[in-house]
Amino acid sequence: MRIVRRSGWGILVVVTLLVAGVAPLAGQNGAYRAPRADGGHPDLNGIWQVMNEANYDLEAHNARAAMALRPGPYGPVPAAQVLALGAVGSVPPSMGVVEGGEIPYKPEALAQKKQNQENWLTRDPEIKCYLPGIPRATYIPQPFRIFQNASQIFFAYQYAGAVRNIFLKDPGPAPVDSWMGQSVGHWEGETLVIDSKGFNDQTWFDRAGNFHSDALHVVERFTRTSPDVIAYEATMEDPNVFTRPWKISMPLYKRQEKNAQLLDFKCVEFVEELMYGQWRKNPLSR
Amino acid sequence: MRKRLVKSILYGAVGLLAGLTAVRPAAAHHAFGSEFDANAPVLLKGKIVKIEWVNPHTWIHIEVTKDDGSKETWMVEGGSPNTLLRRGANKNTFPVGTDIVVDGYQARDHSEKRANARNVTFPDGRKLFMGMTGTGAPDPNSFPDKPKTTDK
Amino acid sequence: MRNLILAGIPAMVALLICAPHPAAAQAQKAPAKAYTPKRMADGHPDLQGTYDLATMTPVDRPMGAPAAYTPEQAQKIETAAALQREKGDESISGNRTAPPKGGDGSVGAAGNVGGYNSGWLDPGSKLTVVRGEIRSSIIVDPPNGRAPQMLPAAMQRAAAGRARPTSDAQENTNDPGLEKAPGAYDDPERRPLGERCLLGFGSTSGPPALPDYFYNNLHQIVQTPDAVMILTEMVHDARVVRMNGQHPPKNIRQWMGDSIGHWEGDTLVVDTTNFTNKTRFRGSSENLHVIERFTRVDDRTLLYQFTIDDPETWAAPWKGEYTWPATDGHIYEYACHEANYALTDILKGARLREKEQAAGKTSR
Repeated sequence: MRIVRRSGWGILVVVTLLVAGVAPLAGQNGAYRAPRADGGHPDLNGIWQVMNEANYDLEAHNARAAMALRPGPYGPVPAAQVLALGAVGSVPPSMGVVEGGEIPYKPEALAQKKQNQENWLTRDPEIKCYLPGIPRATYIPQPFRIFQNASQIFFAYQYAGAVRNIFLKDPGPAPVDSWMGQSVGHWEGETLVIDSKGFNDQTWFDRAGNFHSDALHVVERFTRTSPDVIAYEATMEDPNVFTRPWKISMPLYKRQEKNAQLLDFKCVEFVEELMYGQWRKNPLSR
Repeated sequence: MRKRLVKSILYGAVGLLAGLTAVRPAAAHHAFGSEFDANAPVLLKGKIVKIEWVNPHTWIHIEVTKDDGSKETWMVEGGSPNTLLRRGANKNTFPVGTDIVVDGYQARDHSEKRANARNVTFPDGRKLFMGMTGTGAPDPNSFPDKPKTTDK
Repeated sequence: MRNLILAGIPAMVALLICAPHPAAAQAQKAPAKAYTPKRMADGHPDLQGTYDLATMTPVDRPMGAPAAYTPEQAQKIETAAALQREKGDESISGNRTAPPKGGDGSVGAAGNVGGYNSGWLDPGSKLTVVRGEIRSSIIVDPPNGRAPQMLPAAMQRAAAGRARPTSDAQENTNDPGLEKAPGAYDDPERRPLGERCLLGFGSTSGPPALPDYFYNNLHQIVQTPDAVMILTEMVHDARVVRMNGQHPPKNIRQWMGDSIGHWEGDTLVVDTTNFTNKTRFRGSSENLHVIERFTRVDDRTLLYQFTIDDPETWAAPWKGEYTWPATDGHIYEYACHEANYALTDILKGARLREKEQAAGKTSR
């Protein structure tokens, strides 16, 4: 029996080497085949970040003078509160990330979006460094880290120290609403599919006033398409706000630096003057 | 030698006594005394109009009817909701319209209709938020049934 | 393609070496069964899970308590706490009056205005048991179970720190007359980190991670070969332990420090430095150095040990340990900053107090 076992192991080694040698890096149809993580699925571990302008405005747009504008004699000019930032406060142009171009608002919701834009400074939750929600956490231009093994998947975002645990077994409806929602994940071949609900209505999709209600339902898809890229899609559904589901897509790039790591961007301490400064014993001028 | 024996028995007794008294928490989210006014006690009887299941404190909005018949809404500050969620509570456990009685102290800024939720009960005196001895596994039976009668 | 084969060879060699050899297996079989943990694919013990650190054992040993309680003593303590909890759940009068003007006499964090109904609390119902001993304190070195005295220079530094923005103010200091710590309510930056929603109160994330004797003691560990992530529920802090990493330059500082890890046998050793100068664990300096050890002792329990090393604050390192039992409960979002009404009320309240005092309106 011992001899059979030894040769059994030997055969296993040979077969594995053969398979390793023969199986191409590419999948059957030539698509990139990612290395496997612990658990046998494509390995999404690593530090990732977007390289686009989605956080300014998901829809295609020309460059703008500022995120907060007011009427000027020849067109909009920066609002007084952001004037001193000059070009640093301007909005870069973008081809947009929304499939079909426009977010399909219901008419009354579109009016709400326009009001949000006009009141950006007081309404955008990013200004108070509130948790970004999903999918905005993905494309805030700061790195995030995916932890993945056979039994757990977890996302840690540098921005606001946001986190989300991805349940691999559906725990049932979320008991209360939350900023980051409740996420349930499963694999469809090479793609991680994450289904999220249980959001409150407090987050925005970007700095352009795009918003949702607490009925928001997001389905994301993560597929590695090369050693350093994940193809990311997110489909949003919210019958209170939109006439139909709509989708965004963008690449996620792996941070290449050898010393890449998440650092602190909590950033509660940066907004205390804004939020509480008037209650100081000796308030600064505002 | 006898002195030492007596001393060690005494220390033992003290230690046991110290151990027996429940460990007082070393820290809390914040000192309530700095937020609420010990000279402004309140008793609020009314209906739940909203519960904000948020951290660091749950806020229960309660609509009270004043003596002159007018209504005003107060916010009372509870603890972290997470403990309750782990015991099976959810946003529907205490529905809008439930009659409750809250005693506490008003916020130092008396223009704010806010108070700490020192005790939160149904009109019959049963506590809405009850502790539990257990493993932390959710138990929807942790929360008392609605009271049979309501009173203002 | 070639790279894949080359990469595969070490794995195959490892597989061959580790292949079960019947004779060897029999020789290794020890008569007394020591606990062997389940292992990850890379061979290290699986430390993962969601843990509830709540325990009745305090960090510092109560005066006169033994290092380890007898089962009878422990039962008395745990039963007394359970009775207190039951008492707290008892119905009161639905026709009660408002509480007394001038305060209800409650102390500590309850601040004379009353604390929470016991239903909000989840302080732990059992003392921690380490190596079969029912512990009276988490601190085990010094042997008296209490944190050592600070060095004189460190005490001066801490006192001076109270005159500047400080984060080591005790959250439970009740100071309605604003006398105890002058200036403590002048600015948000002077408030404790927990009140500002920067970190959880107590040292819940640490490091060192300590029980919070109120609630929300859940932690989650996610383990990959490159990094171990420790999530603290309060305030959704994810500490990333970079395996076999190096600390960043001295000017890179983090609220929870920078953590790197390595394995010593079946124990994960985590080394943390680069704290901010505001984190101040019990008055520590910014050169605080914390070493933690995580060891799985059974299928539902981790042993957590820590060493506090800060020669600018304490003459010698000191140590603590307690167990992390697994829980079936979930960690829920603890958003904090997003609904921190309390901080506004605290600062506004202090400004009103000052106005009233200036106008001679009150002697509180």
